[in-house]
Amino acid sequence: MTDTGTLIRLMLPVAVPIAAGIVFLTGKRLRTDRKASAAALLAALGLELALVLGACASGGAAVLWQLTDTLVLALRVDGVGRLFSLLTASVWLLVGLYSVSYMAHDQRSSQFFGWYLIVEGVLIGLDFSGNLVTMYVFYELMTLTSLPLVLHERTHEAVMAGLKYLFYSVAGAFLALFGIFFLAGTAGDLTFVPGGMSALESTLGSTLGSGAEGGLMRAAVFCMLIGFGAKAGMFPLHGWLPTAHPAAPSPASAVLSGVITKSGVLAVIRVIYFVVGPEMIRGTWVQQAWICLTLLTVFLGSMMAYKEPVLKKRLAYSTVSQVSYILFGLSLLEPTAFVGALSHIVFHSLIKNVLFLSAGAVILITGWKRVEEMRGLGSIMPAMLGCYTLVSLGLVGIPPFSGFVSKWYLASGALASGTGVWEAAGPAVLLVSALLTAGYLLPLAIQGFLPGAGSVREYQAADPDEGELAEAGQSWQCREPSAWMLVPAGIMTAATLAFGLFPGPLVRFLTEIAQAVL
Amino acid sequence: MSIVQNFPFFSIILAMFSGIVSSVLSGKKARNLSIAMILAVFVLSLSTLAFCWGTGESYTYWMGHFPAPWGNEIRAGILEGVTASLFSLVMVLSVIGGMGHTEQDVEASKQNLFYIMVDLMLSSLLALIYTNDLFTAYVFVEINTIAGCGMIMIRQKGRSLSSAIRYMILSQLGSGLFLIGLSLLYGVTGHLLMSPAKEAVTAIEAAGAYQIPMLMIVAVISVGLAIKSGLYPFHYWIPDTYGYATPTASAILSGLVSKGYIFLLIKIFYRVLGQEHVIASQIVNVLFVFGLAGMVMGSVHAILQRDLRRMIAYSSVAQIGYIYMGIGLGTQAGMVAAVFHVFTHSITKALLFISAVGLYEASGDRKDYHSLRGSGYRARLAGIGFSVGALSMVGFPMLSGFISKLLFASSALQTPGKRLPTLIALAVSTVLNAVYFLRMVITIYSIPGKRTVKTGQTGADAADGTERQNAASDSGSTAGSRVRSTWNLRLAVLCLILLNLALGMFSQPVVRALEAGLEMFA
Amino acid sequence: MAQALLTNLHETAAVVLFGVGFTVLLLHRNLIKKIMGMNIMDTAVYLFLAAKGYINGRMVPIMTDGILDADAYINPVPSGLVLTGIVVSVSTTALMLALTIRLYERYGSLDLDEILMRLKEEEPS
Repeated sequence: MTDTGTLIRLMLPVAVPIAAGIVFLTGKRLRTDRKASAAALLAALGLELALVLGACASGGAAVLWQLTDTLVLALRVDGVGRLFSLLTASVWLLVGLYSVSYMAHDQRSSQFFGWYLIVEGVLIGLDFSGNLVTMYVFYELMTLTSLPLVLHERTHEAVMAGLKYLFYSVAGAFLALFGIFFLAGTAGDLTFVPGGMSALESTLGSTLGSGAEGGLMRAAVFCMLIGFGAKAGMFPLHGWLPTAHPAAPSPASAVLSGVITKSGVLAVIRVIYFVVGPEMIRGTWVQQAWICLTLLTVFLGSMMAYKEPVLKKRLAYSTVSQVSYILFGLSLLEPTAFVGALSHIVFHSLIKNVLFLSAGAVILITGWKRVEEMRGLGSIMPAMLGCYTLVSLGLVGIPPFSGFVSKWYLASGALASGTGVWEAAGPAVLLVSALLTAGYLLPLAIQGFLPGAGSVREYQAADPDEGELAEAGQSWQCREPSAWMLVPAGIMTAATLAFGLFPGPLVRFLTEIAQAVL
Repeated sequence: MSIVQNFPFFSIILAMFSGIVSSVLSGKKARNLSIAMILAVFVLSLSTLAFCWGTGESYTYWMGHFPAPWGNEIRAGILEGVTASLFSLVMVLSVIGGMGHTEQDVEASKQNLFYIMVDLMLSSLLALIYTNDLFTAYVFVEINTIAGCGMIMIRQKGRSLSSAIRYMILSQLGSGLFLIGLSLLYGVTGHLLMSPAKEAVTAIEAAGAYQIPMLMIVAVISVGLAIKSGLYPFHYWIPDTYGYATPTASAILSGLVSKGYIFLLIKIFYRVLGQEHVIASQIVNVLFVFGLAGMVMGSVHAILQRDLRRMIAYSSVAQIGYIYMGIGLGTQAGMVAAVFHVFTHSITKALLFISAVGLYEASGDRKDYHSLRGSGYRARLAGIGFSVGALSMVGFPMLSGFISKLLFASSALQTPGKRLPTLIALAVSTVLNAVYFLRMVITIYSIPGKRTVKTGQTGADAADGTERQNAASDSGSTAGSRVRSTWNLRLAVLCLILLNLALGMFSQPVVRALEAGLEMFA
Repeated sequence: MAQALLTNLHETAAVVLFGVGFTVLLLHRNLIKKIMGMNIMDTAVYLFLAAKGYINGRMVPIMTDGILDADAYINPVPSGLVLTGIVVSVSTTALMLALTIRLYERYGSLDLDEILMRLKEEEPS
């Protein structure tokens, strides 16, 4: 049976943050003592990263709980799990550093940190899930535990946004549950096997994908795509994203856009590549519809972002669009595109985090929320704006930044995928979207560094009462965000550049995974 | 014949005698006697269960001097034991949880009457569970109805009276149908005892005689019991009844009373009419369709409610729809799922009603959404209890509701014809459930007001440290401060939460027991 | 078919009365009439049961000339059932009448629809 050592080694990365989070939620001392809470948070996050590294290095599988005769809750470390968990743990630590400074003025910061830690634990559990049921449990838990992050500000908009998030997520999860029930009934064991049931089929010679059963199975898979796609912001269940991400505090928006949406992607990967198997849907209406929906979302998201005046909402729409790049790559069912998709998970995560961190810094220091107000930031916070500019270039897809690598793989994968009209339409949409991306990300940088004629003093803030600058009574002097905020942004920017210059190791790692499933 | 075999009989008699004795006791003594008696019944039922599990078969027990097929019998098996244990446990927790409100709502001189009703209710439930005779079942169905009516009208307020009379009217319709079905069955088979009646029915079926009467019998008995248990569209009495009774009464009525009738229906299907015959008569399809309708319409109505208790009552309608859907699938697996959901629903509904009491106690006794905002912070355990109950109803993993849905779905997958409607209805009703339950959970944990809350409403905390800040920022609407619920409420909520979790996490033994129990049920 | 109905006249009448009682209980607005309907419905069932017990040409089950063969007597069981049923019916009738009195005292009406309307105007308790 399961070796206890493996069980503990796999459970610790899940349980430790949850326990730490509960301590933050209930501990009285942590509410008052800022230094202690900051230290505790960083210690917990650092410990978590170490535990995740340890679990990834050692690997293995463990059974957590026997739910019914046929269903077990199990954890397992495989390539995909390693990718996601390392990404999660590193981002969490970096954004945690940022949030210490950002939440410095917030009275209920310990509540935020508490839920922040709990969500991390749940996400690691999701990443390490060994079968569909376990993943579903952690998926539902993730929706519930990330809700307080959205509701944190407790304003009316935050509550409305939280409700919307909840309903969309629950609707999506139950749509997916319909599919899970169906698969559980017909396929039996839902353990993740690379290549899924279609790989097993060829060896077992069963006929699961044919006939009326097959039609129903494909419908169930489609429901799961839509359902899990809700978390990833795929049309048609994307409506919550632009409302929820801006309403949360900036560190929460960062991880929501950067990491939590990727859990929807993870669920899709697990379903298509590890349970059902790509062969089951290759060439069918499911794949066609999926490709169509993702491209639609890519285009729609970019268009909405281009037109959106509020910065955080613009970034949220950008997430909608970019995550669908990833889903597009997955929908092609082709190794190169798969590599492109997975690498874009990493790159987009890092980039989006930096974008939200800088947006948060801007709001904190100047109180500006709309892009058109944000002029002359270059003289106020040059370093942060510099990070913003560099990662924006990355997202647009300009070499030598990492975004270029992922888009290249996506496009070449599309051309090689043999899916008919999408071979050409896909890259075309990607190109248009890239132009729109430039259009919605770069103006801020340009306005920041080259504010145009006239002294900066002419461009007063719309809300002069808000923001640290106004509080401090200073106007337009250089007021860089604190090191706590700058360093994480800098690290992630550097990582973006590094991945762009040296994509080799990552690509090799991802190609291995691709070969196992396709 | 070991002493344990007498226990079913003892439990029925004990319940009845407590009722009789309570008529001369004062309110408090009647209550204590009631609680003690229900706990005793719980222990007796567990022993019966253990005994039947050990021997692996059910046994019959003569009531009186005459053997079958002339005398009266009760029969005990695994399924009966499990059900009796669970029902008595939920009942005692409901009584304990609602103790305080029972004292407040009921006049002092009538306190003992309430507990007499509770005792009679338990005795009739036990009798329905254990009986092997049709007419005895009818008599106890009527006792059940009267005890239920007594529990509803004890409050003497206008709403309770009118809901009591509507309850009685619909109940009597159902009883009338049941009775004439019984009489027809007697006329056709000549037996009132269930097992001999089944032999007769099998012989009749084999001979192909009395086809129309048999069809009528199946239809009339099913519809009669369905009306009494609140299947859509015969559910009109439920919201008023559950919504305006005392908390104990609501918990017992919604959790247990309807389930007694459903259990009787299942028993008649298995032990008198025979499953194959029932399926052939298509009555299961009718129940199935109404079950589906109830699942969806109950939830739709619940979304439109403004009052918390009425919302929970409408969700009962939906859950009873689930149970009938399970019965309507017509397979063994469907029946197991239905019975498991009976258990889940009893526990969860009791939990919801009792927690709701805690929540609106902390909100100035008002039950509408606006007053309940933030009540989760004022009454912590009640808030957690409500959330657990709500999540279980929605089908959150690790809670018993999830296992119920899983069982329903897997049994539906085995029935090709009904597969798709069931799965779709499950999905739709789950989403609808999520809408009103999760909306409520967010309401009880949300704070009204804008950013200005942070600067403090009481004014004192601006100067104080952050400790005060948290308390002040937690303050919601009218009540404001933390209300410590009474010990009995907290105990009941805690036990019900644990029960729900236990059923959710350790469902396998229970499911296996149910399967074994249903095997020996026929 | 008509022949069968006539031979089993009592059962036929019982079913018809049952239908009448059921409909009155369901559809009438006046509470007293509803209760009457319930009684008619129950009594119809007793008629049915009693008729089922009677077998043409046989004796009442009382020993007069020593014990005869079972074939000589009618079935005594249904009368026991009827007695039980009457008791049940009386209890429920009493309960419903008590409720009706309470409702009348409170709302001054025996009409169920009117009572419900007055209730809606009152605030819910």
